[in-house]
Amino acid sequence: MTYHFRHMPANKFGIIDTGKANEMAAKIIEDFGLPIHPAMKVKDLSIAYQQMVEIMKAYSRENLKVICFDAPTASLSDSEIEMLFKIIVKLKAEGKIIIYVSHRMDEIQRITDKVAIFKDGHYVDTVKTGVVPEDEMIRMMVGRDLGDIYKDLDRDKEIGDVLLEVKNVSSDYVKENSFVLHKGEVLGFSGLVGAGRTELMRAIIGADAMRTGEVFLEGKSILNRSPHEAMEHGIVLVPEDRKMQGILANLSVSDNINISLLDQNSDKLGFVSREKEAKAAEEGIRNFKIKTPSPDKKIVELSGGNQQKCIVARWISTNPKVLILDEPTKGIDVGAKSEFCQMICQFAKQGLGVILISSELPEVIGLSDRIIVMKSLKIVGEVDGAEATESKLLSLGMIGEVREA
Amino acid sequence: MNTEKKFRIHISGDKLVLLAANVAVFILFTALNKNFLTVANMINILIAASLVGLVAVGHTYLIIAGQNDLSPGSLAAFSGVLAALLVSKGIPFFAAVLLTIMCGVLVGAFNAFMVNKIRLEAFIATLVTQSIIRGFAFIICGGKPVSVSDKTFVALGKARVFYVPVAVWIMIICIVIFGIILAKTKFGRSIYAIGGNQDAARLAGLNPQRIITICYTMMGVPCSIGGIIFAARMNSGQPSANVNLEFDAITAVILGGVSFVGGVGDMGGTVLGIILIQAFNTGLIMVNVPTFWHYVARGGLLLFALTSDYMRKQKREKDLLAASMKNL
Repeated sequence: MTYHFRHMPANKFGIIDTGKANEMAAKIIEDFGLPIHPAMKVKDLSIAYQQMVEIMKAYSRENLKVICFDAPTASLSDSEIEMLFKIIVKLKAEGKIIIYVSHRMDEIQRITDKVAIFKDGHYVDTVKTGVVPEDEMIRMMVGRDLGDIYKDLDRDKEIGDVLLEVKNVSSDYVKENSFVLHKGEVLGFSGLVGAGRTELMRAIIGADAMRTGEVFLEGKSILNRSPHEAMEHGIVLVPEDRKMQGILANLSVSDNINISLLDQNSDKLGFVSREKEAKAAEEGIRNFKIKTPSPDKKIVELSGGNQQKCIVARWISTNPKVLILDEPTKGIDVGAKSEFCQMICQFAKQGLGVILISSELPEVIGLSDRIIVMKSLKIVGEVDGAEATESKLLSLGMIGEVREA
Repeated sequence: MNTEKKFRIHISGDKLVLLAANVAVFILFTALNKNFLTVANMINILIAASLVGLVAVGHTYLIIAGQNDLSPGSLAAFSGVLAALLVSKGIPFFAAVLLTIMCGVLVGAFNAFMVNKIRLEAFIATLVTQSIIRGFAFIICGGKPVSVSDKTFVALGKARVFYVPVAVWIMIICIVIFGIILAKTKFGRSIYAIGGNQDAARLAGLNPQRIITICYTMMGVPCSIGGIIFAARMNSGQPSANVNLEFDAITAVILGGVSFVGGVGDMGGTVLGIILIQAFNTGLIMVNVPTFWHYVARGGLLLFALTSDYMRKQKREKDLLAASMKNL
C-alpha cells in the first residue's frame, strides 16, 4: 500500500477496497515508470523512491495544478536526481505548474524556465534561465555591503605556529577531510547548510565516532573518543543548536557556566566548592558582559545572545587551545553580534585557534584570516581572508570552483 | 574574598503546597480516627515508610536523570529471600547482607546495560528485570518462604535505638547520604545536567552513559537493604513479597516535585512525598476503607501526582515564555 492517503476508494461503510486501491496505484506507478509494487511498505523503499511515492501521492489528486518541490534533491544520488527530473519533465508536459526551490545552480539551470531570486527574506528579481549567467545570479543573491561591525575590528594579524592539524578525518556523517589551524588564527568555514561543516567538527571533538584519520594538537597525535576527552585536550565546541545542544535549560546561569568545570571545582571526594563556582560564574558574567539579574537565574530566562555568551563563558573558563564556534551569531540581535565579533578577535589575539563556522558570508569574511569552503561533505577550497568575496565563497560552496565575474 | 555569609532557606512555592498537602492528610485522618495522630502510630507510619522510602531515594536519582525503574519490588523480594537463604546456610549475617547487596548492584548494572547499550526505554527495560528477578526470587527458594532465625537478622526488624526502629534509622541515613551526594557533589550536578538534556550534557563534557550506570547500580543498594529489612520484620524471606513497591515509591517521588521529564527535583521533596504517601496508605487502613478500594485510591493519588507535575511543567514553560517575551 504505497500511497493514496486521502483518495482511497471506499464503499459507503468506509471500508477500503484494497484491490481497487492497488489497481489505481499500479496505474500511476506505471505512468511514472517506476519499479515499485503497490503493496510494498513505504518504509522499505529507498529515500528516493519514498520521495517518488510522495510525488505520486500529490499526482493522484484529480485537481492537481501546482506542485512545489522544496530542495528535493538534498538526499538523492545523481541517478536518482535524473529519475526525479524525468518525472518533472513529464509533469510539465502535462501542463502542471512546477515551483522548484533549490540552491543548486546546476539543477536550476537544467530544470527551470524562470528563476525568482530571494535574498535575506526579500524578493529580488525574476530572470529567464539561460539568459542571465550563473555569476550574475549569484551576485543578485549577495549584492549587499559588508556591515560596519566588521570594519573597525581589532584584528591583530600575528599568526603563530601550527596548532591543530586534521588529517583525513571522516565519520559516518562526513567524508575524509584535512586542514590545519594556527595559533592566533581565525579560520572560517563556509559552505551551504548540510555541506558537512558541523559534522566534521563533531568528528574532531569525538561527538561522533571518527572513522578514519588523525588529529594532531601542537604536533602530538591525540584521540578524542568523547567531547570530554576533547575538552581535556583543549578543543571545545560551541554548538550550532543552542537550545537543544548548548544550554542546559533546567539549570541556572551559574550551573551552565560551571558544568564543564566540575572537575576543577570539586575536591577529591567530589564535593563541589560553592565559592569556586560563584567565582567562575561571576568572572564569566563580568568578562562576557552577560546581562542577568543574578547567577542563580535560570539560563532560559535570558535572551538568546546572553545564553550564547554563557556557553562561550563555559568553554573559555576551561582554558582551551582551540575554540570551535558553530554559527555563533545565529538568532541573536545585532548589538550582541557585534560584541561576539569583538570577542572572537580577542580570543585570537590571546593565542587561541578559532574555527568559525558561519553561513553569514559578511561575518565569515569580516572575521577570518583564512576561509575553508565545504561542499557535499568535502572541503572544496580555501580562500585567503583578505581576498575573499561573497561571490567567490558562494560559487565555491555551490559549484565547487571559483568563477570570477 | 567576601566572607559575609548569607543564610537562606530555600522553600519554594511547590514545597509549601506539598507541606500543606501533608498537613491536610494528617488533619483529615485525625478527624476520622483520633488514634491517627499518636506517637505510636507515627512510628508505625515511619516503619511502613522505611521500605518505600529507601526505594524512593533511588528513584529520585533515576527520575531526575530522566530514567525510571520498575524492578525494585522484585529485587527487594529477591534480596529478602537470598539473605534469608544465605544465613540459613550458615553464612554470617553481615557477609550475607554484603553478598545480597552486591547482587542488587549487579541487577542495577543489568538495567543500565539494557538502557545504555541495547537502547531500551527505561520503563520496558526494567519491566524485563521485574519479571526475571521475581522469577529468580521463587527459583532460589523453590517457591517456599525461607524463615529467619538468626538473632542479628531478627533484631534488624525489631530493635530500636532512641525509641526509633533500626529500619527507620537506616532509611534516614540513606536519605541523608543520597541527599548530600545529590545536592553537593560533582556527580549530583551531573545527574541534573543529563536529566535536562543528555545531548547538551555530553557536548559539555559529561558522560551520560556512565552517570546513568552509576544511578542504576546505586539503586540496587537501597532496594536490597529494603528487602532484607522487610524479611527481618516478617521473620522470613518471601518470594511473593513487595509487589507494586515501585508504584508507591514513584508516586512519592513525583508527589515530592521530581519531574517525570527529568532534571528537576530534590531529596527534600522526596522526603515530604514519602511521608505523604505513607500517611495516606496507613490512613486508608485506619478509617476502614475496604482493601480493594486501596488500589483505586493509590491510582488516584498517582494520577494526582502526575497531573500536578504536568501543571508545574506548564507553569515553568509559561513563565519562560513570559520571560523570553520580555527579552525581545
